[in-house]
Amino acid sequence: MRTGDYKQTYGELVALIDSPPVWLWSAVLMLALIAAPHVLNAYALTFLMIILITVTGALGLNILTGYTGLISLGHVGFLVTGAYAYAILVSKYHMPPLVGFLGAGLVPALASLVVGAPSLRLKGLYLAITTLAFSFIINTVILEMRWLTNGARGISVQRPEILGISFDSDAAFTYLCLGIATLTLLATLNIRRSRVGRAFVAIRDNDTAARVMGINLHAYKLLAFVTSALITGLAGALYGIYLSFVSVEGFPFLLSIEALAILIVGGLGSALGAVLGTVLIVLLPEATRLVFSLFSAQLDAVFTTGAQELKSMLYGLVIILFLRFQPRGLVGAWHDIRRAWVNWPLRY
Amino acid sequence: MQYLLQLLISGLAIGAIYGLIAMGFAVIYKSTGLVNFAQGEMTMITAYIAWTISTTVSGNVVVVAFGAILAAILLGLVIERVVMRPMLGEPVFATVMVTIGLAVILRSAINFIWDAYPHGLDVGMGRDIVRLGGIGVRTGQIAVIATLLSLLAAIWAFFRYSKMGVAMRAVAADDRTALLMGISATRVHALAWAASSVIAGIGGVFFALSYDLSPAMFQLGLKAFPATILGGLDAVLGSGLGGLLIGITENLAGGYLGSGMKEIAGFAMIIVVLMIRPFGIFGERDIERV
Amino acid sequence: MRDHLRTASLLLTATLLAGGGALAADPGITDTEILIGDVEPLTGPPALLGVAASIGHKIAIAEANNAGGINGRKIKYVLEDDGYVTARTIQGAKKLIEVDKVFAMLGMSGSGQSIAVMPVLEKAGIPTVIDVAPVKLLWEPPRKNVFVVGQSYEEGIIHLVNYLAEKNPGKKWGLITQDDDYGITVRDGFDSVVKSKKLNVVYSGNYKKGQQDFSSDMLQLKDSGAEVFLAGGIIAENIAMMKELEKLNVKPVTGIFWPGRVEPVLKLMGPAGDGIFAVDYVEPFAGEAGKAFLEKAKPLVSEAEFKGINRYTMSGYAAAKVLIAAIERCGKQPTWACTIGELEKTKNVETGVMAPISFGPGIRFSNQKLQIMQADTATVSFKPVK
Repeated sequence: MRTGDYKQTYGELVALIDSPPVWLWSAVLMLALIAAPHVLNAYALTFLMIILITVTGALGLNILTGYTGLISLGHVGFLVTGAYAYAILVSKYHMPPLVGFLGAGLVPALASLVVGAPSLRLKGLYLAITTLAFSFIINTVILEMRWLTNGARGISVQRPEILGISFDSDAAFTYLCLGIATLTLLATLNIRRSRVGRAFVAIRDNDTAARVMGINLHAYKLLAFVTSALITGLAGALYGIYLSFVSVEGFPFLLSIEALAILIVGGLGSALGAVLGTVLIVLLPEATRLVFSLFSAQLDAVFTTGAQELKSMLYGLVIILFLRFQPRGLVGAWHDIRRAWVNWPLRY
Repeated sequence: MQYLLQLLISGLAIGAIYGLIAMGFAVIYKSTGLVNFAQGEMTMITAYIAWTISTTVSGNVVVVAFGAILAAILLGLVIERVVMRPMLGEPVFATVMVTIGLAVILRSAINFIWDAYPHGLDVGMGRDIVRLGGIGVRTGQIAVIATLLSLLAAIWAFFRYSKMGVAMRAVAADDRTALLMGISATRVHALAWAASSVIAGIGGVFFALSYDLSPAMFQLGLKAFPATILGGLDAVLGSGLGGLLIGITENLAGGYLGSGMKEIAGFAMIIVVLMIRPFGIFGERDIERV
Repeated sequence: MRDHLRTASLLLTATLLAGGGALAADPGITDTEILIGDVEPLTGPPALLGVAASIGHKIAIAEANNAGGINGRKIKYVLEDDGYVTARTIQGAKKLIEVDKVFAMLGMSGSGQSIAVMPVLEKAGIPTVIDVAPVKLLWEPPRKNVFVVGQSYEEGIIHLVNYLAEKNPGKKWGLITQDDDYGITVRDGFDSVVKSKKLNVVYSGNYKKGQQDFSSDMLQLKDSGAEVFLAGGIIAENIAMMKELEKLNVKPVTGIFWPGRVEPVLKLMGPAGDGIFAVDYVEPFAGEAGKAFLEKAKPLVSEAEFKGINRYTMSGYAAAKVLIAAIERCGKQPTWACTIGELEKTKNVETGVMAPISFGPGIRFSNQKLQIMQADTATVSFKPVK
């Protein structure tokens, strides 16, 4: 049993995995995820797919908002750009899916240079509003560029075949999402413990101080935007493939808000938080649905037309109550539990 | 010329509604440091309550107006007491997130309590058309512009001269010092939520009067928030003017550049303005200490 | 460490064991029940159409159940909410097929949603009758198990514009559409008539979905001098446009499309809405057939549901009737293959709310007959135009 952290070198402090039990549990989780597509039914599998795709997107936003402290209200803009880049390259120009994924990363990354430019001058919510503006403007651009994007008609997307492996079945596609989500998680964890990651966090905590320490604000803020957009774009491509149909309609503005909700509910500024937040926010509607179905017969009888709205209200209520009692998010809860476990029977 | 004037008048009328809701955002931000993501939803609820009063109690304009203001005050106070006050002292992000959860609940309440059909608010006036040299305006639209302007004047006087107004500015400037000076932060917060609910609610009722009530009305919040940013998040008066500016820009863009440009024009203008004034037109620059 | 290992291995075995018991396929039918599934937007503004359509399904199902069910089996209706979000439509359909194991599907939400859910339905092979949003991509190419009751948006618009063009020869035209797939199909239909009839179009606008203020758009329309106007909004948009035109003191001959043809709209448009033309393939409620339908529906639904009835209730009712009839013809032991075969043989089935419905080999679209109707503000209703 671990009783405390005794780190003696800097290397130990930044190690991704610092003890054998963590190794073991990570491996177990990985095995469980690999086994899942063969165990779960198709409905449960949709949740796993959505969780994996959303985790990728949330980790992308986490680099920008969680690490660097730049709030984005328009991340759905990168999501939709990535999805369209993939759909246009693969469905319209019949490029191999790998080229499609490359495009899905690069096009939003390029766009982010434009979106990120105001961040050199604006802060906080003032920056957030320019990202919001971007997400609306990009929708109009997509709708207007009919020769490339089919306008409002949208583009159908098939499940890909990469290097001779077909990802057509749900199980196979889940593995693709799992692969990308895992790589993204490793990448963001590694960014966090590198020089770049420390620069991001320094900018978040106080950008004037960071600048005084010799951090190039312009370069690092733009870098945060580019990395974040690249990852989000990949998530967008996966989401487009999952929907099998890419259109502006499929990427509503509410996704931007939901992404922020994931980070906050999970615990801002931590990759673990992004993962836990995703699981909670994606499964919460299903959980409320289950609670709801226990009483559905009575409710349906009383509120014949409005019963479904009660379910959404319950969803909102759970979020409020959760934040009321755990304002530091799931990561905060996790730390509390871990501390209690390690220190028991002492309080600290 | 007539074409331009008609565009300007329509722009001012819709801009005044944006402006009222934008002021709602700014009042809460200025006194509590929060962005209220449920502002559009609160506006919608007030408008629906006004409609219920007009159809069940009386369609008299005075009754509806008083009822709606009372309802808006109550809504603001209840939300502050039940939902927001327990979050006092918690991280800003968590608190803002709570308003997002609140927005979800209020949005669903519309279909739950009322229904998804559009409804018209009829108070016996405000829908008549006045023609001035070929330019058509509804009386409700003139009234909303006048209301916005008189509210701007009243609020300016309130913050400048009344004791509570000065207290609110003090809490906004530095809540700890204000506390030491004997100003009750909770009272200021409660007042801010009630005031914000009323100001935005007036905008919502006028919207219902000139357009219609529908469950999509909460999207007004999404139009008004940029107006707040344009005017300056902490500038209540600036936000009102920001709304007018966005209304006019939208209509001019729609009238001269084509309807596709209408919804983007406001955003494009905001980006340009923020590049020149990063804290909005009337916002105050934050001075940060390292 | 050893504790960890032990817990971990226990957990893994448990999951594998739990998974091993996956069930064999079940066609969604028991000795006493048949399950019919549906995904609709039941929350938010689009609930206007989703709830109405589900009420139509409920009426048809209640009617069949009151008559003893399908060959003795009662129909159970399983309804999922997608909130008009495509990802949730896909999830809902998968849940109905995999978890609830329904026998057949109805409805399927809006146009974008039903297009996205097509691969799921096709892969499952479940008999499906779509009624909410008939768009071409749903039956071109025809899919073995998916049937669509209704008429395409393009054909509807063509019918309406042709009618208006004949009544108003040589006039100047204006058009405004929404910037989504619905708007595009409206525009396509319009453009095809413009070409064939050489109409003089002086205004062509495109508004963003969710736009609420139409003052500048309508001012442009007035400025262009358009005399015939096709309002391509849905509900709130059309109301805002008509009221704006009233303010600007112009009254072009106006046509609207069926997604916006619900009666409360007329009440809100007031005098501005009097005499506007609409096209639809279901009967207007003011006609004989419409009154008979309301009469029939009244005892079968709750009071709140009765208030929620609109044209989507009729199209939903018709689709459910066709599906139930097909299952019934399969006799005591209905199967998916038989139901699909019987749906294909649907020939002139009378539903009372629209023209008789027929499908055929390779024909998955019922191609309903259209009719023109005109708004009458005094009675707040749409009346058929002879």
